[in-house]
Amino acid sequence: MSEFFEALTSHYFLQNALLGGILASIACGVVGSYVVVKRISYLAAGIAHAILGGMGIAYFFGNSPMSGALVAAVVFAIILGWVSLRWKQQEDTIIGALWSMGMAVGILFLSKAPGYHMDLMSYLFGNILMISRDDLFLIGGLDLVILITVGLFYKQLLAVAFDEEFAKLRGISVEWFYMLFLILIGFTVVIMIRIVGLILVIALLTIPPAIANHYIRSLNHMMILAVILGIFFTCSGLALSYEPDLPSGPMIIVLSGSVFIVSVLAQNAFRKKRF
Amino acid sequence: MDSKEIIRIENVSFSYGGPKVLENVDLSIKENEFIGIVGPNGGGKTTLLKIILGILEPDYGQVTIFGDSTENSRSEIGYMPQIAKFNRDFPITVEETVLLGRLGRTSKFGFYNKKDKVIAKRAMEDVEVLEFKDRTIGSLSGGQLQRVLVARALACEPKILILDEPTANVDLRIEKDIFELLKILNERIAILVVSHDIGFISEYIHRAACLNRTLITHQVSSLDGEAIQDLYGKHVKMIAHDHGHGHH
Repeated sequence: MSEFFEALTSHYFLQNALLGGILASIACGVVGSYVVVKRISYLAAGIAHAILGGMGIAYFFGNSPMSGALVAAVVFAIILGWVSLRWKQQEDTIIGALWSMGMAVGILFLSKAPGYHMDLMSYLFGNILMISRDDLFLIGGLDLVILITVGLFYKQLLAVAFDEEFAKLRGISVEWFYMLFLILIGFTVVIMIRIVGLILVIALLTIPPAIANHYIRSLNHMMILAVILGIFFTCSGLALSYEPDLPSGPMIIVLSGSVFIVSVLAQNAFRKKRF
Repeated sequence: MDSKEIIRIENVSFSYGGPKVLENVDLSIKENEFIGIVGPNGGGKTTLLKIILGILEPDYGQVTIFGDSTENSRSEIGYMPQIAKFNRDFPITVEETVLLGRLGRTSKFGFYNKKDKVIAKRAMEDVEVLEFKDRTIGSLSGGQLQRVLVARALACEPKILILDEPTANVDLRIEKDIFELLKILNERIAILVVSHDIGFISEYIHRAACLNRTLITHQVSSLDGEAIQDLYGKHVKMIAHDHGHGHH
């Protein structure tokens, strides 16, 4: 561990990694809290995985995979949102199909582009040590978009997440805000690609808010605690993986998952009533 | 007939594609009225409410609220659903739940303003849940939660409060509490309550609208065994009643 702190003072890439993890945790805690209370982690996972399609296509045509991810995030958020609103009955089947197809298309395109093996692994499982200055700007920019949107529409997003019928009767365009929210999920996934990768993103999106949910009374407190937990998990996951040279993404997930399990067990043991 | 008309339902018919659920329904609700819609399950009570709220469009006839379409004047209605569709574990406090009633009245962007907080506080005082304002809804009893939902409807500053089976899931003592509360609120707003329990609510309401596909209104005093038998029995009268009753 001490080696990590030593390296942190001298190595530029480690400082970037740490800053990236902190910035990413902000979006993750805020958006993840909605995902958890609205119970749409399956839909969020669908968006996350399908994004690989956009990355593969962008890479194949010589564009930056991150730009492809950003476009795919918006496109898949809209498609999956539309499916979830219009075909409620077969929602999970259709999402499952689109999820796999997105990934399959991505891999087909990546396989025809040079040097795909290296890149594929880092998109799927993240590589926080590869965060560049440009990535930091992208992450910071998306953070800002997410925070501003949530700040402007906090009331409406809360109403839609809590009680759609009542929200509709108060004149809120429920479907519009649902779509907006799914796009925010897409943005958050793009942010997380570098940190934990597409496959593991759903864990970091849901675990910190789910832990927070054991100890708070309202959604805004849930967001704050989830952000703090997210920062703790990414930073300590990075630190723990550095010395034994383990991949940081899986380390972050294993760490947060373990804390989650302990928290669930503690909740059940004490059966604390929330006041 | 002095008091102002809030809701006018004229000759409304509706079907979900099959047999008619509502047929030639007429009803007029005036300021300060306390009216009960009663009738058997499947008699069209919830359907009629959905038409009043503008969630469903009638096949024939029309509903106007203050002379305007339901779409435009929906915000004048405070609505309390029969079964709250939300999840009881949702991390939301009583105060935040009541504040949701301000949507449509408050600013579109950002957070609630001071006026919203004052109105929500008054609504919580009215239904006596102010002391729980920082508790989560998951920690409330059934009766307390119903009161919170009444407060949320009051926070809309409605001209009329519409409640769908407000006491379906609570015990008899709480049912009485809630109707006592509605009686007090009725001093300043009109109330429309849907109930299957005609005997109980007749103590509180001014008029009963008996709905079983067609609608017949009765002054409470004339609500006798025969009328109830007509309503719930096999034989259904096909008459549109006159509504020229003031309240007593």
